[in-house]
Amino acid sequence: METLDIPVLSLAVAFLLLLIPVTISFRYGLKLVTPLFVSVVRMSVQLALIGVFLKYLFIWNNPFVNIGWLTVMIVVAVFASVKSSSIKISRIFFPAFISFFVATVSVVFYLNTFVIPLDNIFDARYLIVLGGMLLGNSLRGNIVGISTFYSQLRTDSNHYLYVLSLGASHQEALLPYLRESVQLALRPTLASMATMGIVTLPGMMTGVILGGASPEVAIKYQILIMIAIVVSTITSVVLTILFTMRVCIDRFGVLRADVFRSGKQVSNNWLLKRWRSLVMQSGVRKR
Amino acid sequence: MIEFENIDLSFNDKSVIKNLSLKINQGDKVVISGKSGCGKSSLLSLVLGFITPCEGKVFFDGAGVDEKTVWDVRKRIAYIDQDTSLGSGSVHDLLDFVSRLKVNAHLNFAVDDLMKLFELNCEVIPKNIKELSGGERQRLAIVIAVLLNRDVFFLDEITASLDKHLKRKVADFFLNRENWTCVIVSHDPVWTENSAVRVFDFEENKWKH
Repeated sequence: METLDIPVLSLAVAFLLLLIPVTISFRYGLKLVTPLFVSVVRMSVQLALIGVFLKYLFIWNNPFVNIGWLTVMIVVAVFASVKSSSIKISRIFFPAFISFFVATVSVVFYLNTFVIPLDNIFDARYLIVLGGMLLGNSLRGNIVGISTFYSQLRTDSNHYLYVLSLGASHQEALLPYLRESVQLALRPTLASMATMGIVTLPGMMTGVILGGASPEVAIKYQILIMIAIVVSTITSVVLTILFTMRVCIDRFGVLRADVFRSGKQVSNNWLLKRWRSLVMQSGVRKR
Repeated sequence: MIEFENIDLSFNDKSVIKNLSLKINQGDKVVISGKSGCGKSSLLSLVLGFITPCEGKVFFDGAGVDEKTVWDVRKRIAYIDQDTSLGSGSVHDLLDFVSRLKVNAHLNFAVDDLMKLFELNCEVIPKNIKELSGGERQRLAIVIAVLLNRDVFFLDEITASLDKHLKRKVADFFLNRENWTCVIVSHDPVWTENSAVRVFDFEENKWKH
């Protein structure tokens, strides 16, 4: 079974669907037309460019180039993740990069070595595609994880200092914040897994089926990728918090004031707020 | 026991403490007096390592308070302030959390007698801390501090939310323990009426009596 190609003109017809959100935006004064236009243009240009790039990446299929590209993807994911937190990017970029790298690369190589029968574990078709899926989820998890951890620690600083004054160790005092941040970061992934196949037909599975594979094969890949997503997300969130703590909390156990950026510098807050509201609705217990 | 040696402290370029030297011996009951907002509480934070001085040194039991020693120093001190943030869970959760800290592993967390002593009804235990009144929270913080079985107490305006009768009870409780070292930040005369108490004038940087 071959995948049916979509003629460019037909793809242009798909863009006509966007008239619906544009109309809704005008009707209710949502002011979404400009951001929608910018997002659609960016998405289209980025995907067109990456399509060309991936075509040659798959043809070359050079292990060094593939690892290099995966590293570039990790750098971009880390940057997007840390810039949404209130911490200075320069302070936490490197520890976050190490966390993402360890979590993504170890899981992808585990899959490519022990699960998928590959002759070449550096095969771009698997390394880049699986890595990208894991990074996308780690990115979302870390946006919530890092931001929650440090914002909770900051707003709850009096209680945190009280716990330190009780004689708590560093780990004992920080554990409740770590616990809440990781729970919050993981909750949507776990909820999505629990409803998969019934409520949602996941993107990867859809892609594999459209690519000509049987639903049985598609389901195997989907199960594999969901397990990988959970593992890499929880690993990257926990490692990022543990590694960034070393630079954000001083040796007295006190959160450094100079690691925070001013309010204007923090971006993507809307995404965090939206995520948090969704998660809170799904019943995460507040400390 | 606790010694401040030529301490300079400033926040945002504003000097809060200038060349302060003060020595507190074991068993002393010391009230730090001074106007509101003049930085008296900073003295306690310096010993606990929450802030570090710009100049000078803080000593606890003869050893300088630094990033290595501060963890042991905190295990010797029970600290309560006017608005101790006890968290947002239930009283039971808080007591459970405190009792599970490694430093408290050897302690018996029998709260009933102490709660009775400070007229805190045991019915508050399942309640959320946010449901408690200011006075109840204050007494709960005192109960926890006493349960910790420490010998140094930092008491920062701890009688502010209590009525006259309880203020007297709390002050007598701490001041009558001979071996306990109490550093008290308060404007309340209930502390200074006691002849065992020495008063240090924070602004003048000298002992009043």
